[in-house]
Amino acid sequence: MDQISVLAAAGMQARMQSLDLVANNLANSSTGGFKTDGEFYTLFTSEAAGEDASGPSSVPMIQRQWTDFTQGLLEPTNNPLDFGLSGKGFFVVQGPSGPLYTRNGNFRFTTGGALVTSEGYPLLQQGGQPFHANTAQPLAVSREGEITQNGGSLGHVEIANFENPAGLTKYGANYFSNTTGQDPVEATGTEIYQGKIETSNVSASHGAVRIVGLSRQFEMMQKAITLSNDMSKQAIEQVAKV
Amino acid sequence: MIRALFSAASGMNAQQTNVENIANNIANANTAGFKARRAQFQDLLYQNLIQPGAAATQQTTVPTGLQLGLGTRAVSNEIIFTQGDFSETDNPLDLVIQGNGFFQVQTPSGQIAYTKAGTFHLNQTGQVVDPNGNLLDPPITVPQNALSLTIGSDGTVSYTLPGQAAAQQAGQIQLANFANPSGLNSLGQSLFQQTEASGAPIIGPPGGQDGLGTLMQGYVEQSNVSIVQEFVNLIVSQRAYEANSKVVKAADDMYQQVNNLKQ
Repeated sequence: MDQISVLAAAGMQARMQSLDLVANNLANSSTGGFKTDGEFYTLFTSEAAGEDASGPSSVPMIQRQWTDFTQGLLEPTNNPLDFGLSGKGFFVVQGPSGPLYTRNGNFRFTTGGALVTSEGYPLLQQGGQPFHANTAQPLAVSREGEITQNGGSLGHVEIANFENPAGLTKYGANYFSNTTGQDPVEATGTEIYQGKIETSNVSASHGAVRIVGLSRQFEMMQKAITLSNDMSKQAIEQVAKV
Repeated sequence: MIRALFSAASGMNAQQTNVENIANNIANANTAGFKARRAQFQDLLYQNLIQPGAAATQQTTVPTGLQLGLGTRAVSNEIIFTQGDFSETDNPLDLVIQGNGFFQVQTPSGQIAYTKAGTFHLNQTGQVVDPNGNLLDPPITVPQNALSLTIGSDGTVSYTLPGQAAAQQAGQIQLANFANPSGLNSLGQSLFQQTEASGAPIIGPPGGQDGLGTLMQGYVEQSNVSIVQEFVNLIVSQRAYEANSKVVKAADDMYQQVNNLKQ
């Protein structure tokens, strides 16, 4: 194949993956605690590129995605078991195979009085233990994360932060898992707001602009391939005319 | 690319669920004792094209991977048990629970159901029943010739008979509470049913040691639906639906152009 078609086809492939990301962002515009994904483009350069200077030997591709961890809006829900995080960090919950991290602070009681997520994973306090509350009594959470009931303290909510949150893997169901092996650190200055929930930080307008941009770029590359085809056709049919 | 189409479709489905939930809340804005529900969403699984932490070379690891998400789903619509406004009715059998707890009624099948709507009546035999005729549990009977009916904040029902100075006690209303009221099952007609998730009922007199609320006679608890909040949610939901439909259009256009490559 000729160079133009290879380049443009790689570009189209990458734009399709970009649209996949945008689609997932927009689909999650109502998911509590969801963080927008973006992507980094890079040039794939073949090893022979340095020696052979006869033409372009690199093609565009998506190297990796990044997650935008900016704060979402804190929406009041009036549910005393909704906790909104203001600042950096994640709630730590006990997942089926080790701790999971989430910013979706929608909790509920189990019949035994533990605070759990909608999957039933218990919220952990500092020291790694779940909370045990009396479900019949109202529960208060201070900005600093101390849960009190009837004036007695039940413990502090663990809020974990990471040096490199970009290394967290999205686990699905609003959770992140720590796959790069970095140690979580205690978040400082992060506040908990009771009765509020952090909304998704997806910007619908940004998504719409991305769609327009991706569609037009895709169209241009499609035109480039058509043009390249036409040139080859002309070369074959006209130049080689005997 | 197919991912984009299915992600957008899952987003549209989720927003449809959201609108259906909002519609039911708004429709019940005047239902006594109704509690609003709020839809919750989650992101679906991710396709890991490049796993973060994977080895890039012998010495280095990939700091962040390439994960493509596959959309969203509605996971639950939990009941928000905030207190509704009280409106005065002067009907002696209209009751409001100030705080936690549910009235218990006996359905025709003999099962106990739970309700926040304290609009009770007397049936032809003088028993206290809810608007659907379900008996209050434990049953309370008031004689036909009773003159005045008083229900105390602790649920004690008393009445006076003609020609008698002393009030007679008809019984005490018992309330039930649950460890996880959000896990109750809505039966319709303002009734809830206990489930595995809600736990067993904790039954006690109003205002007792079990954290149950107190009763107030002559008032009805209005629905806790906030119309303003619901309309704001409706606008957001509609726009999100629209944004997802644009993704479908964009993906479709891209496919069309790919198909046009071959002339």
